[in-house]
Amino acid sequence: MSAPHIDTPTIPSAAPGIPLAKDALLALVRERIEVEPDPSDRWDLTVVVASGRLRDLMRFLRDDPRLRMDVLLDIAGVDYLAFPGHRDARFAVVYLLKSLAFNHRIKVKVRVEEEALEIPSIHDCWKIADWMERECWDQLGIVFKGHPNLKRLLNHHQFVGHPLRKDYPCQKRQKLTVNDPMVDQLQLRLRQLGYTVLSEGEIHAPAVRGGTPGEVVGTGDKGMQDPDLTTGTQVGDMKRSVL
Amino acid sequence: MTFKPVPAPVAAEVSLGDAFITTRVDAFINWGRRNSLWPFPFGTACCAIEFMGVVSSVFDLSRFGSELVRFSPRQADLLIVAGTVTYKQAPVLKRIYEQMPEPKWVISAGACATSGGFYDCYCTVPGIDEIIPVDIYIAGCPPRPEAFIEALVQLQAKIDGEAGKEQKVVGV
Repeated sequence: MSAPHIDTPTIPSAAPGIPLAKDALLALVRERIEVEPDPSDRWDLTVVVASGRLRDLMRFLRDDPRLRMDVLLDIAGVDYLAFPGHRDARFAVVYLLKSLAFNHRIKVKVRVEEEALEIPSIHDCWKIADWMERECWDQLGIVFKGHPNLKRLLNHHQFVGHPLRKDYPCQKRQKLTVNDPMVDQLQLRLRQLGYTVLSEGEIHAPAVRGGTPGEVVGTGDKGMQDPDLTTGTQVGDMKRSVL
Repeated sequence: MTFKPVPAPVAAEVSLGDAFITTRVDAFINWGRRNSLWPFPFGTACCAIEFMGVVSSVFDLSRFGSELVRFSPRQADLLIVAGTVTYKQAPVLKRIYEQMPEPKWVISAGACATSGGFYDCYCTVPGIDEIIPVDIYIAGCPPRPEAFIEALVQLQAKIDGEAGKEQKVVGV
């Protein structure tokens, strides 16, 4: 008895291209931007670029049809303080990129001197870079110039210093007494969703998607009047449209 | 002038037969409290997954009267902190504890809640007793469900020894 025939669905190929070899990738990048291969790289190609050319390089990597590095996997900050044999700048920021179309990867490294802790932000090239850069600033204190909201992401807002620096005593604990209200983040998100934020306590919505703006009022917890938490817990009455 | 003799009061016990028991008020209140603990799980890590097993059918915490898991601190009297607590979360935990009505008890479940666990670093609270008072600590990473049950039984024994009539007041 033969096994019943099962139609296996064909998965549309998302990777029409073949990944480029390391040296071909490097040659391609060098056509446009001056980069140096990082002597310490492993597995994937790592290029070192001057911070002034970073944005050009990232745009080129993302948009060039032969490269199409469309995913920013991560941004990692490095502190080379007391790293054996290291004589370059103390900090570095490494961008990890991947192409879904070709399945090749590249790492871009920018060296950051301790005296000039500033490199350009790429939050407008990849949306996710916004939070990645915030994390990098939070943990290592590297400033991303042009970032719209460079504030702490992982550590609390009363934290002093940058804990992933090698000279931060890693068991030094810092207490938080009042929660971060994060009202600014809430308002930002509401604006992105099409709401009009009039004041902290009043949020009006336009008619979205042609719907009638029915009004839903509520959720401001009037019972929470403690001075230390008022700003943290009171969002105010929200009027939003029913979609 | 004559006085009517006042009839001696008939003790209620006489008419009720053996359908009653006598007890101390303390013991009666504590009996009620220890057998109807309503837990609020403050679950932040893998210990909370273990707690799910504890309240599910196999281990069945409701056998000990602690079956109504509440998700509002205002309806709970047992706070079970199961998981790692960071300094960023510490004010939240303290706030939740303050919102619970008296009398209330706290179980610190697992290594992280009890001591910070292996997170000996800048961001983790080394034990929730830095923030709130704790009645029972459970060891383990994560603790076995049996350990949860033993903690509850120990807490019940502790409640039995309390002065039930007086409000349990904890300075925070």
